[in-house]
Amino acid sequence: MGQQEGYADDVVKGFIIWSIVWGLVAVLLGVLISLQLAWPQLNFPPYFTYGRLRPIHTNAGIFGWGIGSFMAFFFYITQRLTRTRLWSPKLARFQLCLFNVVIALAAITLAMGMNRSKEYAELEWPVALLVVVLWVIFSVNIIMTIVKRREEQMYISLWYIMAALVGVAVLYLVNNVGIPISLTKSYSAYAGANDANVQWWYGHNAVAMVLTAPPLALFYYFLPKSTGVPIYSHRMGVIAFWSLIFMYLWTGAHHLLWTPVPDWVQTLAMAFSIMLIAPSWGAVFNGYFSMNGQWHQMRDNYLVKFLIFGITFYGLQTLQGPSQAVRTFSGFIHYTDWVPGHVHMGTLGWVSLVLFASIYYIFPRLYGREIYSVGMVNLHFWLAVIGQLIFSISMWIAGVQQAAMLHATNPDGSLHYSFMETMIELYPYWHARAFGGVIYFASLLVFIYNLIKTATSGKPAPVAARP
Amino acid sequence: MDVASIYYLGVTFLLFALFAVIVGRTYNRRDREKKEAPKYRMMDED
Repeated sequence: MGQQEGYADDVVKGFIIWSIVWGLVAVLLGVLISLQLAWPQLNFPPYFTYGRLRPIHTNAGIFGWGIGSFMAFFFYITQRLTRTRLWSPKLARFQLCLFNVVIALAAITLAMGMNRSKEYAELEWPVALLVVVLWVIFSVNIIMTIVKRREEQMYISLWYIMAALVGVAVLYLVNNVGIPISLTKSYSAYAGANDANVQWWYGHNAVAMVLTAPPLALFYYFLPKSTGVPIYSHRMGVIAFWSLIFMYLWTGAHHLLWTPVPDWVQTLAMAFSIMLIAPSWGAVFNGYFSMNGQWHQMRDNYLVKFLIFGITFYGLQTLQGPSQAVRTFSGFIHYTDWVPGHVHMGTLGWVSLVLFASIYYIFPRLYGREIYSVGMVNLHFWLAVIGQLIFSISMWIAGVQQAAMLHATNPDGSLHYSFMETMIELYPYWHARAFGGVIYFASLLVFIYNLIKTATSGKPAPVAARP
Repeated sequence: MDVASIYYLGVTFLLFALFAVIVGRTYNRRDREKKEAPKYRMMDED
């Protein structure tokens, strides 16, 4: 019995384990499709092609690994911050089963080519309906736990959790409105530029409500728990939260600069994207200031290392993102490999490093055992950071080179390079990207081996033992 | 400027006003200890 009395933690264990399984699938597929880009002969139609596997990679990563583990941590954190047992552990266990069914269905239908052709909203309507059911029961369980709380004031993590619950629901419902014409095919209810606008309002705010708010909830919870020192300013956290919520929802159209979407919509999105630096860096500064007098823990405490590197990647990400949202810069790097470099700094750097730290924090507590090997934790950390940096830096260089080639013109104004010529120049970077992916995959294997050994043969430890 | 634009602008100003109220309430000096209390309470043993 490693679980703490009173809280429903068995379902937390379940979500952690399954999210890691889906995370492994996501990274494995990521490596595979990076190899397919570098060596196109590795594509075997119809199922084993980049086009079929890429959406499975993103869905397994964002929804399987990301949302699966956020579900675990929302259950874990909410119970502790409200000092209240989960409203319905039975519902949570049902949710775990449904979650796995949905992710498996998503993988199968996408592999069969059933796809709405909307990025991050690819799932056809029967699977999308199951996602809605899943999200509703999850939200009801968390919100009812918060309603019944025995702690009057809500810590900042709970605000981020509630924002994610409400935000995802609104975004998913609006963007998935469609007209089914069969069990496996539907068409969007919107058309043309409106459809694009709704799609990227959804797409970019999925970044906000899935890849920003939940990791921030975890960061604000696990940083003070790991260092043993409270966060620098709760009030600054609250202001950063509200300004983030006010500003994020306006920024989606920065994905549509230089398109037929009205100019003023693009300008509005650009302006709010720049303003978003302030709340983003509010959280970054709160994290750094919380380390005042504690920086030695970067050397002594492996959890802090993951969390501070994670928030640093978040800081870099939230400077790079607004820069890309400026018309002139966007005109240069949009539609090049710069963008996957940017996205993977967020997913592999910011989100995953915070998730790794959070799992390393709760896993020994859930199993009542000490972590099996601190050396392996450190190896995992460095492999993950090095793999991610090789991936992102190679893509940024590739993006700049491709952009420069695409914009090069002859004296008569015609294009100097064809699109295919730019592709050929990218091969060395794609090889480097695949190499970075393999290193990241290796880091995951070390992580999983360490967790399995911790659960099966780690030394028994007091429940509240600090790492 | 048409009615839709005025309405749009109005909603924007309303949101900023609401945000200003939140900032004012959060940084009210009299409530400083109360507003910072959650960060100490969350440090209690899990």
